[in-house]
Amino acid sequence: MTLFSFSCNSDLDFNQVNDLKLEPIFIANLSYFDVPAKNFVDNGMERTVSFDAENFDVFRDAFLRNNLKRADFFFEVTNTINRAYSFDLILLDQNGQAVITIRFDVPASTGAPIIIEKTEVFENARLDLLKTAKRMEFVLSMAPGPALSESSLGSIKLRSSATAYLSVE
Amino acid sequence: MRKVYLILLLLLSIGCLSQNKQILYNFRTVPQSLLTNPGADFKYNYYFGVPLLSGISLNVGSTGFSTYDLFANNGVDFNTKLRDVLSSTSRKDKVILNEQIELFNGGFKVGDWQNHAYVSFGMYQEFDFLSYMPKDLAILALDGNRDYLGKVFNLGDLNGRTEMLSVLHFGYNKNIRENLVVGMRAKIYSSIFNATSTDNSGYIYTIPGTTTAYEQVIYSNSQLNTSGISPYIEEDSDVDAASDIQKKTFLGGNLGLGFDLGFTYYLQENIQITASVLDIGFIKHSKEVESFTYKGLYKYEGINPNFNDSDAPRDVYQEFKNAIPLDTIYTKYTTWRPTKLNASYQYSFDDSRGSDCSCSNDDAAYKNAVGAQLFLMTAPRAPIMALTGYYKRNVLSNLQLKATYTLDSFSYTNIGLGLSTTIGKFNMYAMADNLLEYRDVSKANSLSFQFGLNFIFKDNNEPF
Repeated sequence: MTLFSFSCNSDLDFNQVNDLKLEPIFIANLSYFDVPAKNFVDNGMERTVSFDAENFDVFRDAFLRNNLKRADFFFEVTNTINRAYSFDLILLDQNGQAVITIRFDVPASTGAPIIIEKTEVFENARLDLLKTAKRMEFVLSMAPGPALSESSLGSIKLRSSATAYLSVE
Repeated sequence: MRKVYLILLLLLSIGCLSQNKQILYNFRTVPQSLLTNPGADFKYNYYFGVPLLSGISLNVGSTGFSTYDLFANNGVDFNTKLRDVLSSTSRKDKVILNEQIELFNGGFKVGDWQNHAYVSFGMYQEFDFLSYMPKDLAILALDGNRDYLGKVFNLGDLNGRTEMLSVLHFGYNKNIRENLVVGMRAKIYSSIFNATSTDNSGYIYTIPGTTTAYEQVIYSNSQLNTSGISPYIEEDSDVDAASDIQKKTFLGGNLGLGFDLGFTYYLQENIQITASVLDIGFIKHSKEVESFTYKGLYKYEGINPNFNDSDAPRDVYQEFKNAIPLDTIYTKYTTWRPTKLNASYQYSFDDSRGSDCSCSNDDAAYKNAVGAQLFLMTAPRAPIMALTGYYKRNVLSNLQLKATYTLDSFSYTNIGLGLSTTIGKFNMYAMADNLLEYRDVSKANSLSFQFGLNFIFKDNNEPF
């Protein structure tokens, strides 16, 4: 005890803990599909609109909701089908109202793959809108063009990821 | 999730301590040396400690960083310092803390002058903390995974234990030959609280994918066992901590049993060998037990549509929570006490008695002694080890000094000093190590000190 009181000590400041600010950046898959050309043909008939809906429940996590400062969505659509498409990714709130729509116009492929890339940045008001999303809808519409059959080649593919910038104080 | 960050911060901010008491060990004029070796050659008619002040011991240490590294008031941003500490430490770095306070302590001699033994008893309260650096988890918390594609984050890095307990002990010490003292001590542990998470495994990785953008897998096989904590973390908890701890200190906690063994052997009158093994024991945790498990495997592929089937919408977040659920279970568990091993070799010289004296083995008869000690302690990964060289001197008949130099994973420049002085029946001892670090305590990687007050009634070992 006595020894302790005789000892020296550099200037310390334990209140610095309050300055703690963690700013990790996480990347994660966002969405993926790969639809072969033959899937657009059903019993010899072309299916021009494909639709699916999934729940978008990541913001049920309060930690993410409170500490997410920015999110970037990165998309890459690759089309090797000789037909043009429009693809809509729609985020809806709990009342079923679309809050964010991301649209891709994908030209037909005439040999070489068509690659469309897009980055959507969510910050401030747009981020707040994103945080209200509860549901994610996928609408893939095929434009008129050369007829497809069950043996048509090619596919339309989506790869996408999200980068989440957190700030935890 | 925020709790995870808090826990990480806690693990990062506590200094490290080991339980090596290299100065106290084999310090024969101090009754508390019996707690480091029940077979210590310590003779008395009877003794008792000043309640609460007979033995206070504190050890702190950290292999990877010092308080100064994190909290220096030098204008550098705290987050930068935290990052520097993180990059200069590895998963092997550890933080250990040990504190002991004797509540009471005493001893007496039994038998007559020809056939006698020494009994000692007491109760102390102990706090232990050990944690390894949760390096990979800290990287995830500080940086995230974006810049670490391909890195496999090891969830086994989370490895720590902490416990507060009281120990009621009863020791027996006897010269079975003129040159051999053996002793043992039985212990009843009463655990006040315990938290153990030492058998974790698992990983998290993200690598560029061939179909989905990334291949992301989390596998976790983690468990945190707690006892004595659940009443405090319940909502609307209104536990009176003081009375709860008091009750558990006096055998009201989770109980366990253990023992210490030791001996002192004189090869020659001036060559002494000692060894002890402490805390071979366990605690059975059955009261107020609450364990948290986080076990499962999840491969995250994203929120992916299926255009062929009008399937029910999936909840990816819920799927994840179901795949690796945070479960609470209430099963009993057993913990083993950290077992300590001490051994020493000592050579004494400068006989202060007349040359024709045929007194008994007693290194108090020698003015000087040099020796070496080894310390080993079990830890969740590799044992903690220390090697000490020392010099002991009887400065006066009632003042003994011991100087030590210790090598361990915390420091290569650990110099310690202890003194014990007896004025009449009153004995006082004080010991501290890492003295070089007292120039600036905040930069020390480890410190320990022991202090105590006792009344000792000497064994004259004469017929009376």
